[in-house]
Amino acid sequence: MDKETLFKKLAAAVIDGDEDETARLAQEALDTGIDPYDAIMQGCNKGMAEVSDKYEAKEMFVPEILLSADAMYAAIDILRPHLKVDDTVAKPATVIIGVAQGDIHDIGKNLVKMMLDVAGFNIIDVGRDVPVETFVEKAIEHNAKLVAISALMTTSMMNMEPVIEGLKEKHSGAKTIVGGAPISQDFADSIGAAGYGKDAVAAVRVAKKLTEA
Amino acid sequence: MARMTSPERMGAVMMGEKPDRIPVVPFILGYAAQITGVSIGDLYADGDKCFEAMFNSMRLHGYEQTPMYGYASLGPWEFGGEVMFPYGKGHSAPSVTKHPVMSIEDIENLEVPTFEKELPGGFKEADKVAKRCVAMGMPATIQTGSTFTASSVVAETSLFLKWIFKEPKAVHMLLDKVSDMFVNALEYFAETYGPEHCMPFDGGPVEANTILSPKQFKEFAYPYMEKLHKKIKELGMPAVLMHPCADQNMNIPYYVELRKKLNWEGRYFWLFGPETPIQDQIDNFGDHDIICGNVDPPSIQYKSYEDVVRLCKENIEAGKDSPNGFVLAPGCEFPPLAPPIKVMAMMDAAEKYGRYD
Repeated sequence: MDKETLFKKLAAAVIDGDEDETARLAQEALDTGIDPYDAIMQGCNKGMAEVSDKYEAKEMFVPEILLSADAMYAAIDILRPHLKVDDTVAKPATVIIGVAQGDIHDIGKNLVKMMLDVAGFNIIDVGRDVPVETFVEKAIEHNAKLVAISALMTTSMMNMEPVIEGLKEKHSGAKTIVGGAPISQDFADSIGAAGYGKDAVAAVRVAKKLTEA
Repeated sequence: MARMTSPERMGAVMMGEKPDRIPVVPFILGYAAQITGVSIGDLYADGDKCFEAMFNSMRLHGYEQTPMYGYASLGPWEFGGEVMFPYGKGHSAPSVTKHPVMSIEDIENLEVPTFEKELPGGFKEADKVAKRCVAMGMPATIQTGSTFTASSVVAETSLFLKWIFKEPKAVHMLLDKVSDMFVNALEYFAETYGPEHCMPFDGGPVEANTILSPKQFKEFAYPYMEKLHKKIKELGMPAVLMHPCADQNMNIPYYVELRKKLNWEGRYFWLFGPETPIQDQIDNFGDHDIICGNVDPPSIQYKSYEDVVRLCKENIEAGKDSPNGFVLAPGCEFPPLAPPIKVMAMMDAAEKYGRYD
């Protein structure tokens, strides 16, 4: 199979959520000498980008996205150990991601994390029900460019602003993006967040914009 | 028109008559704890404290909502899992710490809780609230759904959502068992308090179209909703509080189908999320049912008193003349940490813009 065909099949298997097929194609890519970086970017990432488009168009929903994510990682887990390290390429921006204190709902956060990972960010996942101080400490420790905070409750959303204040004070190099069911652009503006993602797809768009600026 | 008491006001709406003004049901749960000096953890861990906090909050503010017990993660505790009560900073409802279902085998082995001896999990606390409500002439509001949302937390949620495609038969088996638990609950409360005193509450967020497609709703959520509502009709309960949580606009045709298919004489209170325009609710359900408002809860939390009054006014103007009545409500739980002036904003808006005389 030529590499273009393999990339197309890999992308299609990601969209179909077929993890056996993505794993098989990833191994085939390695066996036939295809650059694993190209297989990830041209196969897995293209497939996941289409999944994002379909979610936005309400053609795919969360159950399908979870299967696509499993399929994508089945391939990436095989390909990633074989990536060549190129010191001349700029390191990707680091994003600290977590769910605000008081909140244990992390499906949304996990979707954003996966999409940011696909988009090439270096992700540090600090989990759920995360204290304000942890966001700030981790941002300093990893010299993060961006801190992404999710909340599903009106109580936990009130713990976003203290993170933003803490970052302003101790790690002003990091910008903040917020999201989750009760969050709106209006609320994000009111607490001084640099960005707001209405869903996982939008979050990636905003994250790219904020880290490129 | 003479000023009505709260029970008279709700009674009039239930009977399809015009009250003096629209009732206010602020969908208060955790807020009641905050305002009465009880911890939110205790509100959910102890039905007596829940009743007292809710009853006192109702008296303090003078709204029409009566005490109730329930939370979105109901299900795991009752099936032998574990929940954590919201005692921590920012916590507002019980959350699951151990899902009883982590594999398909777990579904096969899952036993439906019975209500014959000790009541399972949260129903024991709900029973305390129901008992005191009925003793004081208020309805026993009991959570009996949604089956889909409860199942999605009885099982680990990501696994459950993936099984929709990978293991649909097992998902149906789980949904059937969870709905059987709710059937048992309905039978228990009807027998204990009399069906005429019971008001089932059905709703959940996992059916939202930000998560689930309408096709998936039709296949996995609707059949079990119909099963429970047939039971409610059979038992002779007079009203159901329906809360299709968050954006469920694409599921509305199935809620309409439920209404039509059951041809039920009782009344639904429809409390949709802020994403569903009031006019759409009136168009679909107004000929028979009571439409509730859907003021945006986060806005109640962080916007000013004046802004909340304005949002309520818009809600009231859109819904007040719905043919079978309108109740001012937020589109989901009233923010537990909102200052009391925000309840006052709802009450003031109802008084100023919601009068019929």
